[in-house]
This record gives sequence, structure tokens and C-alpha cells, in this order.
Amino acid sequence: MSHGILEREARVVLALGRRALTVQFRRAQLLMPTFVLPLMLLAVISSGTSAAVDLRGFPDVASYLAFMVPGTVVQGTILAGLTAGIALASDIEFGFFDRLLAAPVKRTSLVLGRLCGTLGLAILQSSFFLLVALAFGARYPGGAGAAVAAVAIAAITAVGVGGIAAAIALRTGSLALLQSLFPFMFVLLFTAPAFFPRELLAPVLRDFSVLNPLTYVVEGIRALLNGDAGLGDPALGLLAACLLAVCTTALSTGALQQRLRRT
Amino acid sequence: MSLAPGSPPAVEAHALVREYKGGIRAVDGLDLQVAAGEIYGFLGPNGAGKTTVVRILTTLLRPTSGDALVGGRSVVRDGDAVRRLIGVALQEAAIDPLMTGRELLRMQGALHGLRSKQARERGQNLLERVGLTEAGDRRVGGYSGGMRRRLDLALALVHRPQVLFLDEPTTGLDPTSRAALWREVRALNDEGTTVFLTTQYLEEAEQLADRVGIIARGRLVVEGSPTALKAQVGPPTIHVELADAEGAQRARSALRGLGALEPAGAGGDIHVQLRTTAGKAAIAPVIRALDEHGVQVESVEVQMPSLDDVFMAVTGATLEGASSNDGSPSSGDHVGEAVPASRAPEATTAR
Ligand SMILES: Nc1ncnc2c1ncn2[C@@H]1O[C@H](COP(=O)(O)OP(=O)(O)O)[C@@H](O)[C@H]1O
Ligand SMILES: [Mg+2]
Repeated sequence: MSHGILEREARVVLALGRRALTVQFRRAQLLMPTFVLPLMLLAVISSGTSAAVDLRGFPDVASYLAFMVPGTVVQGTILAGLTAGIALASDIEFGFFDRLLAAPVKRTSLVLGRLCGTLGLAILQSSFFLLVALAFGARYPGGAGAAVAAVAIAAITAVGVGGIAAAIALRTGSLALLQSLFPFMFVLLFTAPAFFPRELLAPVLRDFSVLNPLTYVVEGIRALLNGDAGLGDPALGLLAACLLAVCTTALSTGALQQRLRRT
Repeated sequence: MSLAPGSPPAVEAHALVREYKGGIRAVDGLDLQVAAGEIYGFLGPNGAGKTTVVRILTTLLRPTSGDALVGGRSVVRDGDAVRRLIGVALQEAAIDPLMTGRELLRMQGALHGLRSKQARERGQNLLERVGLTEAGDRRVGGYSGGMRRRLDLALALVHRPQVLFLDEPTTGLDPTSRAALWREVRALNDEGTTVFLTTQYLEEAEQLADRVGIIARGRLVVEGSPTALKAQVGPPTIHVELADAEGAQRARSALRGLGALEPAGAGGDIHVQLRTTAGKAAIAPVIRALDEHGVQVESVEVQMPSLDDVFMAVTGATLEGASSNDGSPSSGDHVGEAVPASRAPEATTAR
């Protein structure tokens, strides 16, 4: 592929990402779950169960809130990813995707553009969560650099989840199906040690958590924010996020190719 | 951008077939050619297969068999090249209600390889061209049907396409919006753009198209210029409305020599109809003859044979009858441009 074509496709991806993000902020039913829901859950869990810090097996952290925030951030990434699928499915259902398909651009760019929007959304969203928690007393001993790294890992994770959701949207074109996937978020969330350390999970969940890539993301972000390598491995978190993103992006571009062969 | 005469056809379809799941043959062995620089009107009732054909020609749908070339490139094997040549405004204007007109134009520009500054300028020009400068920064969700269509057209023009596909561009529009869109289509065609336009409206095809293909049940049933098609059906009819029924007999004998008198139908007492190839030119002689016979005339109208008549002749059904008739303007009320061509008087004289 020549340099010119790459540059052109990059412009397309950015334009589509920009559009995805713009629309996201104008659609209340997408904005509520991505920005408000995780914070509500954070408020409920952290106020109701802050005594958990005293449980045996609970790591020694500065504040329970700081321990919880990675869970909120990862919840945000799941929601950002899911809404990517929902937005794509509605583009398909209402014909907007046809406009994109009728344009002389690489088919892959259409998927990448959507995921580019998800990346941008997740960056805004996780920064927002970190700031709100900060305002409510969370402290990040890891420092600002660590917080930026945490946001980056979260954003890549969101692309990973978005890839799955986009693949489902492209396979089925069904808005309703994607909306029904929201409960799965909790499965992903509770089999990752989002709100409790792995040691406190039930044995079955603990076995699952080893297989859940989000486990490594949560723990990596937690280690970064708390500046405590005992809480997780940021490199492993980054690796898990990148692997997930690469695999599911491939999955969704494959789903698009297949969709085009079917039509 | 205009192509030299004698250049290869802008659009060619060869034995095109599209079968949907469930065995519906929406397109059933279609052959057609559209010359470069032409406005081709693809006319047919609802469900005839028009949209399916447009989707195949714009690479959005694969034919089950057969192939089509747009600008000499195969829609099946060379989709990307085809997409570079074409602009398309789909029947369901594929517009995101949450975006503004300007944002959509900018995005469309990026999709066609324009840089940000170019895309902005082009967007501005096109907004002016379709009269949406004021509305450009408003969300499309608040646009009227006519505004959406105009924006959709503008979007299709961002990259100055050689061939423009318009799928029922005026369905559901009010007469003013329809007329505005027609003007725009004509102007584009004058600039050299080939236009492939589908419509359920006879009037639209007659007004715009150089050539018309009538499609029914996925097959092209007849093709030609509107004039040639109408000539197949027969000469124009002159309708004379009399002031009173007493003159009917005298009127019929007065007009006998001027053409073929149609048998008096129901309510034929004050109406006399005459078929004559002279068309409008027969108005003066008709009035003179009636005058000489002392017949009081209320009005004289010339009715050209319409594409509806052609459709009737080739399929045995009326276009309106075959369609679900949603938002059709052919209600028969004579309001400005809403006058349905199928029954519109070509010339009217009253005395
Ligand atoms: N996606 C589809 N699946 C199954 N049948 C379809 C589909 N789209 C159109 N059809 C059928 O194909 C025929 C032609 O439809 P269409 O091309 O939309 O006609 P038109 O545009 O002339 O109204 C109709 O009978 C319609 O019901
Ligand atoms: Mg249609």
C-alpha cells in the first residue's frame, strides 16, 4: 500500500471516529450508560462496602475508593465498547452504513473508524472517572504519569470490547440483540476482580478470572494508580488489552468481509 | 467531466438477476444501457425492483447472476473503481439525524479523499448550491423531507461523480421541493453528469428523462424516449367541454372531419373527445369548426398520451393501481406543479 493511500485511509478513519464521538455526545441514551452508570455503581459500592477494606485478604490500600476506581474504569471500557456495537448496528439498521459502503474506501477503514471513536470515547471517559473520584477523595500514589498510562490501557481495552460488539453488529445487524448484551457486562466485570481482590472471589469466579483478559487490565491499572506493584502487573495489563484489541479488530473486519459476501 | 459522444455507455446491465432469500426474484434478467450524459428514468410501481437494481449498480448488493458495468467497470469485480465514479442518493436518505448538514458534508468529503480544508470549502459550496446555507449548522433530524433530499443530493455530489444514481428522489415531496430538485438534476446533467433516476411518477420521468425504461416485476417491459413511448400508444386527444348538452350532436358532426371521434362515454352529453395526431395544432381548427356550427364551448383541452397509457398498454395495469400509492401526487387536483402529467392538459383554452 502506498503512502498516499495510507494517509487517505487514515483521514477516513479519523473522520469516522470524529463522527462517532460527536454523535455519542448527542445521544442521551448512549451517554447515560457510558458516563453516569459506572459512577453510580462506584458510589453505591464504595459507600456500602467500604468496611471491606478491613476484611482479611484485602490488600493494604490508601483508600477503598482508589482500589475501586479501576473497576469503574474497566466498566466504562465495556460500556464504551458495547455502545460502539449499538451505534454500528443502528447505522446498519437505518441505512447510514450504506452511505459508507458506497464510498471508495477500504472496507477495513469503516470498522477502524468506528473503533477510533471508541478509543476517543474511552480516553475521555476514563479521564473523567479518575477526576471525579479524585474530587471525592481518591488518591493516586502512582502519580500523573501512571494515571495517563492507566487511561491508555483502558482505551485500548475499550477498542477490544468494541471489536467484539462491532463483530456482533456486523454478523447480525441487530440493534435489539446488542442492547440485550448489557447484562453480560456484569459477568465480565465480576469475573474480573473489579471491585474485590482476586483472593476474595468465590473459587469458581477465581478460575474464570484467570481466563478473563479484563482481570489483567483491572489489576494493571490498579497497580499503576496505587503505585503498588503488589496489586498487579501493568505490562501484563497492557499486553492483555493489546491482544484483545488486535484479535477483536480482526474479528470485526472479518465479520464485515463476510457480511459483504453475503449481501 | 462530460464524456465525449460515442464513448462507452455509462451504465450497462447484462442478464442481471437478483434473488432474495425466500426466492423472491426482485430483478429477473435485466438488460439495459445508459449512454454517457443521459438522464435515464427508471420507472415502475412499488416493488418492481428499482431499488434492488440501484443497489446492485452502486455495489451495495451483489447480483445473483449477470453483471453490470458502470463507467466500463464491473460492479462485481471492480467495486472500488465503480465507487470512485458514482454518487448515490438512496431512497431512504441515509442521513444521521444527530449530525448537522455541514458535518455530514465534511465527513462525506473525507470519505472521498478530500483534505479537511477542501472538504469544508466544498461543503460550503454545495450547501449554497442546494439552498441549505442557513440550515447547514442545524441537526438534520429537524430538516423537512425536501431539505433532507437536497442535502442527500449535495452529499452525493461531493466528489463530482460521473454517474449519479437517484432512487426516488422526490417521493413524498411537496410540489415546490420537487420542482427545485428537478431543476438541480437538469443543471447537473447540463454539466455533463449522467443521471440514473428511479421514480414511480410518470410526470417525473416525462419531465426529466431523455430515455425511460419501465420496469415491472424485475423485468424491463419497455424502453425509449418519453415521446417515442407515447407515440406507440397513439395520438393526443382533444377534450371539448360544451356549455350545454344540446350542442353535443352538432359538435360531433362539426368535428367529424378533424380526427377520430371517441365514442361518447358516461356523461358524454357535454363532453366530446377527438383523437388527432395534430395535437395542439388542432385547437384552433376545432374551435373554429365548433363556432361555425354555433356550438357553445366551455373549454378545450389537449391531452397527450401519458406514460401511464404506455404502462397500461404493455402491462395491462395502471401504474398507480400497481403501486401502493404512498404520497403520490397524482390525485388529480390541479394545483400548480402537482398537476399529474398523466392527466394534465397540455394546453387549455377557454372561451
Ligand atoms: N432485503 C430484501 N429481502 C427480501 N425481499 C426483498 C428485499 N428487498 C426487496 N425485496 C423484495 O424485492 C422486490 C423488489 O423490491 P425493490 O427493489 O425495493 O422495489 P422498488 O424499489 O421498485 O419498490 C419486492 O417484492 C420486495 O418485497
Ligand atoms: Mg424502491
